[in-house]
Amino acid sequence: MSHPVALDRPGEKVVLMGNEAIARGAIEGGITLAASYPGTPSSEIGNTLARVAKKLGFHFEWSANEKVAMEVAYGASMVNQRVLCPMKHVGVNVALDILNPITLRGVKGGLVVVSTDDPSQHSSRTEQDNRWMGKLNDVPIIEPSSPQEAKDLTKYALGLSEQVKLPVLIRTVTRLSHMRSDVTLGEIQKLDRKPEFDWEGFSYRVAGFEKLFRRHKERHGKIDAVEAEFEEVPFNTVKFNGEKTGIIGVGFAFTYVKDALEALSVEDNVAWMKLLTPHPLPQKKVGEFIKGLDTLLIAEEVDPYVELHIKALAKDVNPSLKILGRLDGSLPREGELNHEIIDNIISDILGLEKPVSERKDVETEKEELLFDRMLTMCAGCPHRSSLYALKKAVKEVKGDLMNVVVNGDIGCYGLAHAPPMEFEDTYFAMGASIGVSQGMQQMGIDTIAWIGDGTFLHAGIPALQNAVHNGADIKIVVADNAAVAMTGFQTNPQMGRTATGDKVEPIMIEDIARASGVKHVEVVDPYDLDAAEAAFKRMLEADGVAMVISRRECAMVAVRNMRPNRPPVYEVNPDICIGCKQCLNNYGCPALMWNEDERKASIDTTLCMGCDSCAQVCPVNAISRRES
Amino acid sequence: MDTFKVVLAGVGGQGTLLASRLMAEAAIKAGMHVKIGETYGMAQRGGPVMGHIQIGGETNNPQIRKGEADVLIGFEPAEAVRRGVTYLKKGGLALINTRKTAPVEVVSGMMPYPDMNKLLGLLKQVTENIHLFDATGIAEEAGDPITTNIVMLGSIVASGLLPYSEETVLETLRDSLRPQFLEMNMKAFELGKKAYKSI
Repeated sequence: MSHPVALDRPGEKVVLMGNEAIARGAIEGGITLAASYPGTPSSEIGNTLARVAKKLGFHFEWSANEKVAMEVAYGASMVNQRVLCPMKHVGVNVALDILNPITLRGVKGGLVVVSTDDPSQHSSRTEQDNRWMGKLNDVPIIEPSSPQEAKDLTKYALGLSEQVKLPVLIRTVTRLSHMRSDVTLGEIQKLDRKPEFDWEGFSYRVAGFEKLFRRHKERHGKIDAVEAEFEEVPFNTVKFNGEKTGIIGVGFAFTYVKDALEALSVEDNVAWMKLLTPHPLPQKKVGEFIKGLDTLLIAEEVDPYVELHIKALAKDVNPSLKILGRLDGSLPREGELNHEIIDNIISDILGLEKPVSERKDVETEKEELLFDRMLTMCAGCPHRSSLYALKKAVKEVKGDLMNVVVNGDIGCYGLAHAPPMEFEDTYFAMGASIGVSQGMQQMGIDTIAWIGDGTFLHAGIPALQNAVHNGADIKIVVADNAAVAMTGFQTNPQMGRTATGDKVEPIMIEDIARASGVKHVEVVDPYDLDAAEAAFKRMLEADGVAMVISRRECAMVAVRNMRPNRPPVYEVNPDICIGCKQCLNNYGCPALMWNEDERKASIDTTLCMGCDSCAQVCPVNAISRRES
Repeated sequence: MDTFKVVLAGVGGQGTLLASRLMAEAAIKAGMHVKIGETYGMAQRGGPVMGHIQIGGETNNPQIRKGEADVLIGFEPAEAVRRGVTYLKKGGLALINTRKTAPVEVVSGMMPYPDMNKLLGLLKQVTENIHLFDATGIAEEAGDPITTNIVMLGSIVASGLLPYSEETVLETLRDSLRPQFLEMNMKAFELGKKAYKSI
């Protein structure tokens, strides 16, 4: 079954996720290359492109990291190709070093960067608002409010980028990236452009260094041209019939506003503007809208980005205008918006009675009764086995688990901090475990860096070489599950295949480590708990930088590969089980259960994937594989 | 037309998303607008998952307002109560799989799984219209517990509340599911319908 984004049937309605709609928009806009690094909530853009790239004849890759992705995209743009470069919001931090010169030098083929921001940190370490990136680098920003607009405006952005010779940033939020709705497909443009390096546009040899180098003024001219364009675009819409109260809904935040006006039946009392171009702000259009108002509410996620700019504008256009939003405290300063927040503020402004919840008591009772359902590693997750063995090794070598600081990293294995393993102290940013561990160690603190295979390859290599070069004595465990599991099983350079399924030579982490001068490198299978513990002990006792790669494929992948067969079944022999709960409390695989009546452990056969680890944990050998 | 609103509640890995998507595909076949809002965060790994589906009408936001869902499809009892208490309208229909999925708090002995009567007592403050059945058991009967989502889909179709026909749903299943698993899923669908009717 082919993916709906590949359908060449203009006018047909299909259900698309916001992220899929962006992929379709890029396809309709005639991209010939897309490069990305996975990260929630952006990953489905690349997943979708990877699925259809070969069929539609463009290059897609999961790059080593976001900076490399943007460099690859820029290379193709300079040879007159249209390109897409999607990533999660914090990925743009990684790519910023190259985005900055791109904006100054300009682009040739349309280059669209997608930043999927994550208000309320559903799956991120910050809720950074990447519209500031637009301000920082004069990047035009477009914020769609629906999957249909996400598709249409991605296509538009490719053309705009080419026309003004700036990269254009499409900014989404999690709710938009992950929502689905009916989207009407458009025409797929086939540009068939011959790749040709734009010598006049980019070459020092041909155009001359001076002409290409200092271009800040030229960049300002470009962003002014974009502002003029944004004054006229049809997708910034206004409803105004002389009302004194107005609301500007920016991007996805507009959906809360529009629905609230209808739910509160106040559509006739309030003027509104749907603003999809926060940067550069179309000052004439916005000025015209706010000129006659007494009160203006600005709904946006997350920072008061548009609000600040409108405050500056209002000083000239309407100095007595009362401006409400995130800045003045009318809306919360942090987190995503929701129906209640917007319903309440509109009710406040209009002097309506606030809607009250009749379910306060039952909600409170519910909170008291229910668990949170904490996140945990999957049944059979090899990371759990690695941690179990690592803790035993640390106890033995260091005397106490608190005698080392465990600096974790970004990925599923970051759940090491959660019960029952609880063996991780920090995690910060891709690859940071190694660098911060080195800093602590240089000051005499014992550390373990706990990093995944994908994350190591993304940003761990320079830190590793730095540690070796500076004679550090850090211990590194690579939790290698041969998968970029957290974001949905994308490829990385160790896997031996590309994003679009081509077989390539795998680049092994042990080879990188040895080539980087690490003397003590071991690879071990964490499902063999004794062997893993012994390897971790040798690592802790080694001198200098030492690494154990704890390698076993992700349990989800393993189960998938067994289909249609089911995994081997493990069971607890109740005659042998002494009810000590060691398997539950010290190992804690979700496939293990406690039978309170019999005071024995048991195994949920629908979850168990047959890794054998709990059988090795059991002190009385009560757990074994059922003979089939 | 009015917007028909369904909330799905479950745990990561239970296939709630596929159930929402099938309902959405069917809506498009029936010529209706549709919106799905998903909340899962990092919860692929056993955390709570919630889906909001709005069929027909002209709403803009993918989230259903509190207390406005016509139907709750609960893939797991505690998750059903967590979402039902908040989102189900007064007297709305609750379809609930009775098979529990214990979270790590329960597995590791930090707290017990809440008493079922207490849990359902909370939901009863919102609606008496609660249908309980062992959907996972029924799915196992159909051939694989992974078809629990199709059993649940069968039950909402049998309720007759969806704003499109059963034939539209069947056509969607035939178009959207992998052929090698179609027979098993069709069986799960029929058993789900039967489960609703036999209550």
